[in-house]
Amino acid sequence: MTSRDFTDEKLNMFIDAQLDSDEMNEIRQASLDDRDLRERICQLKAVRELVGYAYSTEVPPSKYENINQKKSSTLFAKALAASVTLVVGVFLGWETYHYSPQAVDEISAENTFQYVANHVAVDHSNRKIILHIDSGDLQVVNAALNEADHLLATYKKANVPMKLDVITNRNGINMLRPGVSPYVERIKKLIDDDDVSFFACERSIAKAHKREGVEIKLLPGVITDKSAKELIPERLEKGWVYIKA
Amino acid sequence: MKVVKNLVAAFSLKSEFAARRDKLYRIAYSWCHEPALADDLVQETIYKAIKNASRLRDINTMDSWLYRILYNCWQDFLRVKGRNIEFIEMHDEDQAGQSENYQQSQIVKRVRASVEQLPLPLREVVTLADFAGFTYAEIAEITEVPIGTVMSRLFRARQNLKQQLLEFGSDELSEFKLRRVK
Repeated sequence: MTSRDFTDEKLNMFIDAQLDSDEMNEIRQASLDDRDLRERICQLKAVRELVGYAYSTEVPPSKYENINQKKSSTLFAKALAASVTLVVGVFLGWETYHYSPQAVDEISAENTFQYVANHVAVDHSNRKIILHIDSGDLQVVNAALNEADHLLATYKKANVPMKLDVITNRNGINMLRPGVSPYVERIKKLIDDDDVSFFACERSIAKAHKREGVEIKLLPGVITDKSAKELIPERLEKGWVYIKA
Repeated sequence: MKVVKNLVAAFSLKSEFAARRDKLYRIAYSWCHEPALADDLVQETIYKAIKNASRLRDINTMDSWLYRILYNCWQDFLRVKGRNIEFIEMHDEDQAGQSENYQQSQIVKRVRASVEQLPLPLREVVTLADFAGFTYAEIAEITEVPIGTVMSRLFRARQNLKQQLLEFGSDELSEFKLRRVK
């Protein structure tokens, strides 16, 4: 099976896990040897990640004091305002729109992480990236570490300052546990790099401790003083690029 | 005793609804891109949910039930005001003031601009799938369209966004590729 044998509709279902297990495996297997198929999957995954990310913002306080309160009738006023705002909106849209039709053909994504990283560039003079890992799946962890290596090598070669924070939570913290993780030596090397920091969610550590009844030992140098729910938003607010493994 | 049980159940449901407020707001905002309206829609949704809590048969379907109410509130707004086309062009200047740093993020701006330009039915489906994480069947139930329509809308939405985001990211991409290690 080649990339052309799979429609985009089917690949959408694949990334949304809406196919049965045989079909999921078929695409998974085909993607191992087919770079074009991998790239198509990456692009769709990247779009999904970006949409999810774009609306994960802090919610402003509600004007309503309690949830029983019936809403006030301000909608009509808002709709009237829309006509005025429309003009401003169109203007702003054109101001920020950079059209480049050939860009579609220039894309070459190794995988989803790289693809997203390419597209969410915020500041090339000083790149700051979060790599978020919440899975203990070895394939996911391995892919994430490959990505970390790739990003570091790329930016070092280009002499572009960068900071990579690898934030783990849930089963993702297991990758940082000696005796549990097969990637300990590899991660130690990354921890020794000044540009890379590893974080383990303090809540996930506490939960793992409670669940397993043993002390959760992590590699030296792993930072454990905050939860992932604190670590990620505080970086996002400062414009860091978010990459989900 | 039954009265006490009912009171406890009602209180518990209210808490469950309130706990979902932020996520409801984000979805409402992704549809209308207007903070005050999103707040109104969520308030109306929770108000209706509390009022009609007895109709929620299965607690496990609470999420899709709540989003169905939100979707209906949104559709009611569009129907009553008849602003299906004009409203999609609104920009969120209020929101920029509330979270300035975050709003300045190029990623958010670019993606939101791309989502905003989608036709409403496509926008609703793609945010329910990609942000709220509903299955196709759940989205079909929330938006009251056949599952095939959900798939088709999602396909078109993602194709459109892929193209928009590639175009938006072209400058950065070209620059990045020059530095890339093979």
